[in-house]
Amino acid sequence: MRPAAAQPDGASRTLQGIGVSPGIVVGRVVVRKRPSWRAGRTQLPADQVEVEVERFLKAVIEAGRELAMLRERLATDLADALSIIDSHLLMLKDRMIYERTVEIIRREHVNAEWALSRALTDIRERFEQIDNAYIRERYSDIRQVADRVFDLLTGRRNDPSDEATGPAILVANDFSPEDTMHMQAGNVLGFCTEKGGVTSHTAIVARSLGLPAVAGLDRVTSILTSGDLVVMDGGRGVVVLDPDAETIRSGREEEQRRQAMAGELDRYLHLVSETVDGYAVRLSANIERLDELPAVLHHGCEGIGLFRSEFVYFQGQGPPTEEQLVATCTRLLADAAPHPVTVRTLDVGGDKGCLFLPGASAWLDRESNPALGLRSIRFSLHEKTLFQTQLRALLRASVHGRLRILLPLVCALSELQQARECIGEAAASLDADGLAYAPEIELGVMIEVPSAVITADLFAAEVDFFAIGTNDLIQYALAIDRGNQYVAHLYEPLHPAVLRLIRQTVAAGHSRNIPVSVCGEMAGDPLCAPLLIGLGVDELSMRPAMVPRIRRLVRHAGMHWLRRLGDEVLRSQDSDQARETLNRALAHYYPEDFLQS
Amino acid sequence: MRAARATLRVGNDRGVHGRVATRLAEIAMEHNASLRIDRDGEQADCASILEVLALALACGDTVHLEAAGEQAEAALAAAHLVLTRRDDP
Repeated sequence: MRPAAAQPDGASRTLQGIGVSPGIVVGRVVVRKRPSWRAGRTQLPADQVEVEVERFLKAVIEAGRELAMLRERLATDLADALSIIDSHLLMLKDRMIYERTVEIIRREHVNAEWALSRALTDIRERFEQIDNAYIRERYSDIRQVADRVFDLLTGRRNDPSDEATGPAILVANDFSPEDTMHMQAGNVLGFCTEKGGVTSHTAIVARSLGLPAVAGLDRVTSILTSGDLVVMDGGRGVVVLDPDAETIRSGREEEQRRQAMAGELDRYLHLVSETVDGYAVRLSANIERLDELPAVLHHGCEGIGLFRSEFVYFQGQGPPTEEQLVATCTRLLADAAPHPVTVRTLDVGGDKGCLFLPGASAWLDRESNPALGLRSIRFSLHEKTLFQTQLRALLRASVHGRLRILLPLVCALSELQQARECIGEAAASLDADGLAYAPEIELGVMIEVPSAVITADLFAAEVDFFAIGTNDLIQYALAIDRGNQYVAHLYEPLHPAVLRLIRQTVAAGHSRNIPVSVCGEMAGDPLCAPLLIGLGVDELSMRPAMVPRIRRLVRHAGMHWLRRLGDEVLRSQDSDQARETLNRALAHYYPEDFLQS
Repeated sequence: MRAARATLRVGNDRGVHGRVATRLAEIAMEHNASLRIDRDGEQADCASILEVLALALACGDTVHLEAAGEQAEAALAAAHLVLTRRDDP
């Protein structure tokens, strides 16, 4: 437990906790005290045991119903919050809580509250031994789930926002993520908690709601009383109690300044991604599921630069039908229109196996080098029926928007030619069936193996676009498996070899006037994105939420100095030097973004 | 009864944390198969988030997955994917 400094020094005093969600607020607090579990042990007569089990069961069912209702009410774009509720629902029925409690009731003939608190103690003891803080902190989720059931058993309900009249800073031992979600429409200024840390779900949800929060404030629910005026700084983790006039004034000013900053990023949502000297850079999204579409639209992504089509293949008990694939792609294209959607054809094999797919026997033969084995386009060309189904579906969906087909892991022209024949075959079969498809569908190759870069000039003459997959390109160029903990540190995006491969690909693409995108993690990295643009990349595809931040960088840059930066970094001897050059240059051009971090 | 087995390395940087364990439990429930995970003899039933979390699996840990039941292969394949991926499910 982290000690909170609480020295009375006349007027104000300062409590130091852990800043978990930035922002400064001045306001009155509402303290929610959760009575500790008073689970007295009651011995039950034998004939009451099953009645008690039944009572526990009802509380669990009711808790599940509450969670399900809460889930219904949430907007689908709050993916983080939804997944928290899903995990809470599963914990509720987890055998370490559920079966264990029932077992204790039955074996010891005790009341459900007592049995539940015993089960919880066992879990706590196990979790306290875990070194990984991110996993250890999940105990607070378990506790919240158990609290919900406990409240139902004892007939006590607790809604912290109930007591709040007017905007307030809520103070509690801990809030469940559901608590924090209740509050998004309410009058909440921020949170202070005794428990939790940066990775606690309360912190995550607070950040996603944009509310400041300070955690780890020991005994804060005893120190503060509802109605106290405080100044809270969620960035520095400080709460000032009984602040003087000067502290309040500077707190208010700071509050306004931060709000203006946050509002500024929002302004970039719907602006064009263009440098100050008028060069357009397309910023698009990497997604794999349809439920990510709201985030794509919300963050102002200019199309989908990479749709990983594998997801639908892993959902069911077998490969998806053509109709399922048509439905998925149609939705993608229609929602993203008028922007283009780049769909990568099935990219399985390597680390992404799926044993019910035909052809999986090759993987079961235990490839000794899966990364060099039957994967991606090689797999599709090996399993032509499966490939035909996907291609037919893509073509059929193409009438609903602007489709670009992307072939992964192409190493030689012959693979491109074979794939093109397959597309021709799919088109002919659609003609025969009287089904429509768009007359012009762009075809591109993923540049992710060194052989494709070395022969990029040959590919450029044959395709409509290049997409550089930096994740695999780095792995294959540097011969590093970054999943291997012993060599992962050698996985280095800024390795001179990687930068030269990117430059060479761009040059080959541009000499044939085809656009070149990057869709690996480098594209959404604020340090790498300006460099990639400087190297001539036309499109960056990244996690949707990164788009506003990268767009801001683009709009504050001039192409002339980005190019100069690209040239300078390319001259680096090694990745350390490249990183140093980048850090220095970016801190100079974007002091607000790079100086502090 | 069908059975399938695999040995793999945990791919997520932050280890098998809440989201990964949640997805594993969902996979175990969606399939007609039991799914167990084993690290050096310490076992957990994938249907139990808490048992899986309590193993505190870190990135790079080698684990054995074992599925048994009618849909053993499909369950194993889905779990394999979730565990080896670097990104969160």
